[in-house]
Amino acid sequence: MSRLAGLDRQAIASALLAFRSGQRPATVMDRIAKGFTDEEIQAIAAWYAAQK
Amino acid sequence: MAFGQAAAPRVAVVGGGFAGVSCARALRKVDPRIVVTLVEPSAVFLACPLTNSVIAGLRDMDRQRFTYEAVQADGVAFAPSAAASIDPRGRTVTLADGTRVPYDRMVLAPGIDIRWDALPGYDEAAAERMPHAWRAGEQTLLLRRQLQAMEDGGLVVISAPANPYRCPPGPYERASLIAHYLKAHKPRSKVIVLDAKDAFPKQRLFLSAWKELYPGLIEWVPLSSGGQVISVEPAGRTLVTDFERYPAAVANVIPPQKAGRIAEVAGVADRSGWCPIDPVTFESKLQPNIHVIGDAAIAGAMPKSAFAANAQAKSCAAAVAALLAGRQPGPSKLINTCYSLVAPDYGFSVAGVYHAEGGQLVEVSGSGGVSPADAPRSLRVLEATYAEAWFRTITAEAFG
Repeated sequence: MSRLAGLDRQAIASALLAFRSGQRPATVMDRIAKGFTDEEIQAIAAWYAAQK
Repeated sequence: MAFGQAAAPRVAVVGGGFAGVSCARALRKVDPRIVVTLVEPSAVFLACPLTNSVIAGLRDMDRQRFTYEAVQADGVAFAPSAAASIDPRGRTVTLADGTRVPYDRMVLAPGIDIRWDALPGYDEAAAERMPHAWRAGEQTLLLRRQLQAMEDGGLVVISAPANPYRCPPGPYERASLIAHYLKAHKPRSKVIVLDAKDAFPKQRLFLSAWKELYPGLIEWVPLSSGGQVISVEPAGRTLVTDFERYPAAVANVIPPQKAGRIAEVAGVADRSGWCPIDPVTFESKLQPNIHVIGDAAIAGAMPKSAFAANAQAKSCAAAVAALLAGRQPGPSKLINTCYSLVAPDYGFSVAGVYHAEGGQLVEVSGSGGVSPADAPRSLRVLEATYAEAWFRTITAEAFG
């Protein structure tokens, strides 16, 4: 499993969007991503990208 | 009190479980100016998640032990004593050792207490013969020893309570892992679950896994089939329903519960025994400046789980920091994820995303749900490894 902290912001957002749409296979992230709006996904991605 | 004044704001966090510790650390992270005191009498925390594996002999109890060093390294002051009384008007908590801790806001995270008056025959002495094992510790090990000492062919009876209670899928995971132990070591034994409910979380997944892995080993008796235990007789380890008596070789009574005792003392518990809260700030609806998080809180659709406690802790910390700074707390979304093991290599999960709506914490529509019913075995294997990863992550976030 890869660490989220410090990953590229756009990569994190794309992954979350793909989990939400079901394009990216998942066990649990698909169910979680469906609870978040586009704006929230962008905010989550920005926050993780800024972590070290 | 707002920031910019001379004195730093003070928050007292009462209770050193997943909720309290996560909140204390989050408060320091949100604003290091906040003086945080964590009130907790035990030097060691024993984590409940995965203790069903301990009971089934699959896991060492040492792996459930955590301490408060890392929490203190984050600048949280540790008060090693129990909260004895709380004065909401004077904003002071008095500890068992006499220390008085003044606060601007308090976060109460007392977890659960057993309702010793709720099930006739079940008192603290009865729990020594018919363990609840619903708080990690000596009770966990007692139930494990009883299972190991039981003769092949002995009947194990678990009584599951009505909602709400800590860890809603827990009784069924426990039945599963005990069946796993019996299948290997005591194949003539079986497990009966006497239930005060007609439905339980991940029910389809559990029932189909039991059929697959433990055919004939687990019998579930729901409320409508007379499953509710109305009294117990410790001398004969007997559970009594309206219709039958179940003398057990090993009896695990998971009794009705309520918020930890200090919630009652503080006046934040209602007649249900649990604590009504504002869904954004987690502030008590009964006492100002006291926030309640974790198992003790009435958190709407959120289950009483370690993950929910951790999510509530962070959300509450952000709200408390905002209120102390004179700002309006913003809305947040909270996540719960919870894994259940049916065997060491067979797991599944439930997930949910929650937000405040109409004064309640409700599930965001279209989100969440349980693992698929028709999944290949490889997914169950994968989710069993994720259950262990889940434990490592959440305990590292709280205690590591």
